[in-house]
Amino acid sequence: MSTPASILLVGLGGAGCSMVTRLSAQLPAEIAVALLDTDARSLPAGTAATLQLGRAQTRGMGTGGEAALGLASAESEEAALRRLFTGIPVVVLVTGLGGGTGSGAASVVAGLAAECGATVLSFATMPFSHEGERRMRQANDATVKLGQKCHGLVVVHNDLLLQQVSPDAPLSESFAAADNWVGGALRGLASAFAPGALIAVDPAALRSLLSTPGSPTLFAFGIGEGEGAAMKAARAACDCPLAHAPGAVAKVASLFVTVAGGSAMTSTEAFEAVAAVRARFGGETSTVLCARIDSALGDRIEVSVLGASLPAPKAPAKPKKGAKAEDPAQPIFEFATEESMRRGLFGGTPMTFIDGQDVDVPAYIRKAVRLPASP
Amino acid sequence: MTPKPLPSLIAVIDIGTYKTASLLGQIIDGKARMLSFSERRTDGVVKGTVTDLEKLTQCVHEVVNDIERGSGRAVEQVYLSLSGPAAEGERVKGFVAVPAHDGKITAKDVTDAILSAKRLEPPSGRATILYMRQPTMLDNRPVSNPVGMAGKRLEVNFWRVTMEEGNMRMRVGMVNGMSIKVRDFILASHAAACATASDADKQGVLVIDMGAGTTDWILYYKEHILCAGSIPVGGEHLTNDLSVALRISRETAEDLKLRFGSAMHRENDVNQTIWKDGDKGVGDQQFNRGTITQVLSLRYQETIEFVRKDVLRRLEAIFPGHAVKLDQNMIPSGVILTGGSASLADAAEAVQQVTGLSARVGVPNFENESLRKPEYAGVVGLMTAAIADAPPPVRRPSGFLAQLKELFRL
Repeated sequence: MSTPASILLVGLGGAGCSMVTRLSAQLPAEIAVALLDTDARSLPAGTAATLQLGRAQTRGMGTGGEAALGLASAESEEAALRRLFTGIPVVVLVTGLGGGTGSGAASVVAGLAAECGATVLSFATMPFSHEGERRMRQANDATVKLGQKCHGLVVVHNDLLLQQVSPDAPLSESFAAADNWVGGALRGLASAFAPGALIAVDPAALRSLLSTPGSPTLFAFGIGEGEGAAMKAARAACDCPLAHAPGAVAKVASLFVTVAGGSAMTSTEAFEAVAAVRARFGGETSTVLCARIDSALGDRIEVSVLGASLPAPKAPAKPKKGAKAEDPAQPIFEFATEESMRRGLFGGTPMTFIDGQDVDVPAYIRKAVRLPASP
Repeated sequence: MTPKPLPSLIAVIDIGTYKTASLLGQIIDGKARMLSFSERRTDGVVKGTVTDLEKLTQCVHEVVNDIERGSGRAVEQVYLSLSGPAAEGERVKGFVAVPAHDGKITAKDVTDAILSAKRLEPPSGRATILYMRQPTMLDNRPVSNPVGMAGKRLEVNFWRVTMEEGNMRMRVGMVNGMSIKVRDFILASHAAACATASDADKQGVLVIDMGAGTTDWILYYKEHILCAGSIPVGGEHLTNDLSVALRISRETAEDLKLRFGSAMHRENDVNQTIWKDGDKGVGDQQFNRGTITQVLSLRYQETIEFVRKDVLRRLEAIFPGHAVKLDQNMIPSGVILTGGSASLADAAEAVQQVTGLSARVGVPNFENESLRKPEYAGVVGLMTAAIADAPPPVRRPSGFLAQLKELFRL
């Protein structure tokens, strides 16, 4: 890479690499791409920087679903990973949890990137309930670890995405839907930094939004078309299943809203959409708006929302004199783990498996039933 | 068998995930007259598993104090309910080959067969909690009393319930701490059945006791317990799903579940808007009733489906190689629903739909009207079962732990 990019999009593991590879063609030049996997076949020779993890451990064969092997593979490449992340302000990590490479290596990769000074935002997909007990446990463990390492973590439940697919769609289609969702979300985010923005932002905005590791993170994405496209997109984002995932943050202090549309989009429209999004998600402390014209979108408008809150309530009003100031990089209370969010009141209790499913997870989520809209 | 005299006072304690209830009754002519009753919110139990012994012990002490104070009588021994996956059941078999010279069954043959069944050691680390008699088979035909009959092979079966030793000791110790003895354990589902099913029902009935943390079931066939089991899912899961789906607190979810919930989801529900508080004041919220019934019906019906599969799995283990079918022929009295979650609207209809069996909500048969609710089937049934089962079927403690248990109840 001749000039260091401001954002590095990293695909980790088989699922992460395939999502990033598909996306890479549509990305603006400011965003560099790197692919990391243990399986040599996921790393095509091409424009993207690739790094094969754990050559000694797996001999390019993948991990066979062993998270421990994924972990060891990433640790063995520490020096190369540090080189990759040096000088990059924002790292966006995309990975699929449940398998070996993603589950094992994600927290190591995110941790190294953070140590190199990058702000790390991770997108992680959780396996479908029907993929069974082992993958779900592995994914749950991995999200807890990953959440502690990165500044923002967006968890995408494949079960929830399945609700967007018709119930009798084949399995391959449900996997494709998961890919599309994350892809669309990332495109929305990436486009914020592309040239041609009506209201431009720079990666520093993202850095200030995600200042603290372990912050509860919100992500929503919506598309609208035709008459009143902006409002339609904003409403779609408000109803986005990612934002309605169990335990997902309802309201956040800071928002980063991107509105992208065809040449017909007006700034009034964009502001209206942002107002609608703010009414739903908060953003009282700060709301960063980015609007962008992309003639390829035609009469479509895309709204994507990234939000975060500080992980802890404010410190007591009167701190004792002479008391040590708390390190802002240290999460003050434990990160609300993905596991506890997904399992609601049963968070923290041992999982109970029947027919390979964790039955503490609400039935409607495991069965991927779309609930009637709220009034 | 000469029956031991019934104690004139019987105290029972039903420890649930949500509530702990205790009942003290005076036994007159084999019937219980209620002296006092107490229930308190359980602390320290999650999904039927004890997570905080100290809190639970305190809770048990409180209910015992309540019933003692309420009646002015001292409790010396109690019957404890046993529910959840900790109590694992299986069928044990014992048999004797009847000496050929006369072929008549003697009482000693029966005792020998029983002893041979009970000689089977429980899996290591587990203690036998109770045996429940199943039909006696003489040359593969069920007989009620084989003594004096002619035959070659006498077989007695028991449904044996075992529990992890530490768990059992903990439960006994909890009560012993108050200088009270555990007279016996009673399977919660058996208790629920005793309170709600008639003898005629027991020709074939499936009792499903859905509490807050677990759903326990028991299947009676020809007046005997055929098998029993437990699913670690209960009413708390209904509340949890609702609280996750609507992003509301556990308390609000519990309240909405009771007021607007249903085990059936109907098209029409989607068009109904309901208010959380109803006063439309500040903080009141609107919900779509369809969301509530959708979430609850999916969970409820799934749980009943888990029960159905569990029943079939256990029946297949008892009758290997037979195609077992749960139908009205085998279970003429259908399903009786008890426990707190039986009060969910349309529960019986949902069970009917999932199992294909007729279903009804079981209300305990008890003189005191305030306890005639499905949620009290457990505690009332403990009393009924304690009276009916005393003395419990002949049993000789085998093994060190069983003797230890015997010591505790002396």
